[in-house]
Amino acid sequence: MSELTSEFLVITIGAILVNNFVLSKFLGICPFLGVSKKLDTALGMSGAVIFVMTLASLVSSLINQFLLTRDFVIGGRTMNLQFLQTLVFIVVIASLVQLVEIILQKVSAKLYESLGIFLPLITTNCAVLGCVVLNAKATGPLQSTWYGATIYGFCSAVGFALALVLFSSLREKLDLAQVPKAFEGTAISLVTAGILAMAFLGFSGLV
Amino acid sequence: MSDKPRKFKGGVHPSDSKALSASCAIQDAPLLDKYVVIMHQNIGAPPQLLVKKGDVVKKGQLLAKAGGFVSVPLHAPTSGTVSAIDKCPGPTGISVPAIHIDADGEDEWGSPFEPIANWQNCPAGELRQRVWDAGIVGMGGAGFPAHVKLSPPEGKEIDTLILNGAECEPYLTADHRLMLEQAEDVVLGAAILARILGLESAVIGIEENKPDAIAKLEEVAGKYHVRVQPLPVNYPQGAEKQLIYAITGREVPVGKLPMDVKCVVQNVASAVAVADAVVKGIPSIERVTTVTGRPVKTPGNWRFRIGTPIAKALELAGGITEQPAKLLLGGPMMGIAQSSLGVTVMKNTSGILLISSDEVSLYSSEPCIRCGRCVEVCPMSILPATISQAVENKRFDWAQELNVQACIECGSCSYVCPSHRPLNQHFKWAKVEIASKLRRRND
Amino acid sequence: MELKFIIISIISTGIIGVLLGVIIGVVAKAFAVEIDERIEKVEELLPGANCGGCGFAGCSAFAKAVVAEEAAPGQCPVCSGDDVANIASYLGIEAGQGEKMVALVRCSGDISNTVRSLYNGIRDCRSAVVVAGGAKGCDYGCLGFGSCANACPFGAIEMRDGLAVVHPELCVGCENCVATCPKNLIVMVPAAAEVHVYCNSPEKGAAKRQVCKTACIACRKCVKASGEEEHMLVDGFLVKTNYENPPSADLVEASACPTTALRVAGKHAANEYQGVSK
Repeated sequence: MSELTSEFLVITIGAILVNNFVLSKFLGICPFLGVSKKLDTALGMSGAVIFVMTLASLVSSLINQFLLTRDFVIGGRTMNLQFLQTLVFIVVIASLVQLVEIILQKVSAKLYESLGIFLPLITTNCAVLGCVVLNAKATGPLQSTWYGATIYGFCSAVGFALALVLFSSLREKLDLAQVPKAFEGTAISLVTAGILAMAFLGFSGLV
Repeated sequence: MSDKPRKFKGGVHPSDSKALSASCAIQDAPLLDKYVVIMHQNIGAPPQLLVKKGDVVKKGQLLAKAGGFVSVPLHAPTSGTVSAIDKCPGPTGISVPAIHIDADGEDEWGSPFEPIANWQNCPAGELRQRVWDAGIVGMGGAGFPAHVKLSPPEGKEIDTLILNGAECEPYLTADHRLMLEQAEDVVLGAAILARILGLESAVIGIEENKPDAIAKLEEVAGKYHVRVQPLPVNYPQGAEKQLIYAITGREVPVGKLPMDVKCVVQNVASAVAVADAVVKGIPSIERVTTVTGRPVKTPGNWRFRIGTPIAKALELAGGITEQPAKLLLGGPMMGIAQSSLGVTVMKNTSGILLISSDEVSLYSSEPCIRCGRCVEVCPMSILPATISQAVENKRFDWAQELNVQACIECGSCSYVCPSHRPLNQHFKWAKVEIASKLRRRND
Repeated sequence: MELKFIIISIISTGIIGVLLGVIIGVVAKAFAVEIDERIEKVEELLPGANCGGCGFAGCSAFAKAVVAEEAAPGQCPVCSGDDVANIASYLGIEAGQGEKMVALVRCSGDISNTVRSLYNGIRDCRSAVVVAGGAKGCDYGCLGFGSCANACPFGAIEMRDGLAVVHPELCVGCENCVATCPKNLIVMVPAAAEVHVYCNSPEKGAAKRQVCKTACIACRKCVKASGEEEHMLVDGFLVKTNYENPPSADLVEASACPTTALRVAGKHAANEYQGVSK
């Protein structure tokens, strides 16, 4: 297997299962708990996150590669703009979320309403920023290219979607259960999320 | 068609307690001085009243005519005067309109139709009309008009007629005694029903715990190409869909009728009523009912006129020896608890059952422990535990997705549930809510 | 650090910002959704209870209908008179306010006054009625499991001794309880009417008395005391308040109803009840 192919497998399987953003890296817990009450909204949120994360990875790795990491010489000293990474990435993600919001409102008003506050909150979804930052720091021959970063972004988002959909299905079933008063609501959800995370621990060592 | 019956999935084996009344020969109940005939005795449209207060009626005279195709006429159980058209407690706990008849003691016959002596040569349509005119309904408990089942719509072919003599409900022995004592009439009824459907033969399904009835029927069955099929003892063997599967191996899909798998099922008591209506010209005005239970002094099987008050029926059985805890119409699994002794015997009252206080106890429903016993015993292969939880949370849409409509309300799940969950009631409720939602949508 | 370097950073960040801003601007123009701001404003003025009492799917659907002049603001049963007036003046249309209606549970048979059989099933009226018509001796009476109280978004129905009691001051007339009651016991009556007959059984007086101590037996005492058929109407074996011309609260004392089925609404509901939190 060539190095690129093996890295491709590491990126995809790693991002979806082994180093799942929610259940292993514990990023993006806010929408994970907030939008998982119903499977329908969870699916909508997953779609939105996949879209935003893939696009954000693409755009920010392009900016990172061709602008921020470009060395230039000023006054005899070689410098670059890498210190602007966080700032620029946040701006990019925020505008992308804006775009998704505007488009969604026109295309599917129902989904727009059901996502409610969580759509603009993708802006501050640490999973998106985390993914972009990880891309910028990557050293692998595939992930450090713009298309490798996009693949990684997409796969991380799929991992996020997987966790969200699994969890929302569990919560829908949980609605039917008779839960002791003290554990009702978020408490039992967090316990469930913990058990789900432990289950995902079983994937470690897969790649 | 193999002779070995198939075993349907699930089912339970409650103690049958049939010994209380199984050896008691059917007795004719004496004439009473008052009968209360409940108007709406069938599934479908209620019949239309033909008499008014003060009218003098003869035994067998029409009291009400069919109010549509899925409806049957009603006949006077004896001669006398209509004393009132008033309400009386109904079997479901709601007061229902009823015709009160003061008997004159003459029991004077005034049949609405003549016997058809030569039924072998009588056209099927005329025989079917006679079944309708005689007001015969499914006497096993459902009360579905018999003629409707005998009128398959254009293009629906019927190849099997099954007579239901399973009597899988514990305690009840009315059909058992009927098959034993009137085996010829059962077979004759089967032959007439087969002729109406254009069939040559019929099958009678009987649970193996009635060997005397099986032997007796086998003796006389040969005369009309009727086959007797012993069935393993397993509740609900007598449920229509389970019986069809046991005998033919065909499964009736959810929401479909036995007709859709080319079968017609009639109760043995209905078959006897058909034989009486055709050969003797007697409309459906009496039926054999088991009066039983531990608190009953002398349990037994009686031939009651339709409209006999339950209180009178219990009197005939010698009254009670102890205060009963529960009065049921039907068997202990599917019977309906009664709150009044004023209910009267209807065409589908197969049993009057008293339960003593040490046989029942008040349970409170506990959370489901997911033991899966209800899933094991469910003869319809649905998931009682999951549906029940959905209903508990008023998620009737989920219950619908989980096919709660397939439930035949046999009560097996409630019987085995270690948490004493009211599963059967959950399903009944869900079915009603789903039906009313559909109605609202159609409006 | 050289000044040039700072300028380069500012300019490049600025360019990225401006570029993204322009893209968003263009997309926003292309995907613009027409929103009538009046709808939002009306929705703000509405109570936001989403009870469905107006006959629309919720407050936002009602707001849309009001702005489109398919509905009058007064159709909202929850709004106070001032709220309705505000909406009407904002939109410059007629308020179309009707008379305030409240729910009335036409039954007074609590546990001590009625005959009941033992029922050990699901504690919900709609479920109990499926099994054997409910455990109450009277076929028409309140079953007392509180399906209506659960359906009420405003906590206006109290379950007291197995009887649903409406607190008119909390009731806004959304009719959710009317649709829930499996016995069709609950009707909407004008809030101005003070005296009601708390019975719904069309049975004969003797039959009713067998199962309930507080049934209306149609003795007509109240009818006579109020002047023939003006304030009270006789319907078979049941007397009803004439809501076109309701009697005053004095009638209850004047007529001395022998079964106490005739009651003053305020007294019937009176006790320390603050509503339940939802």
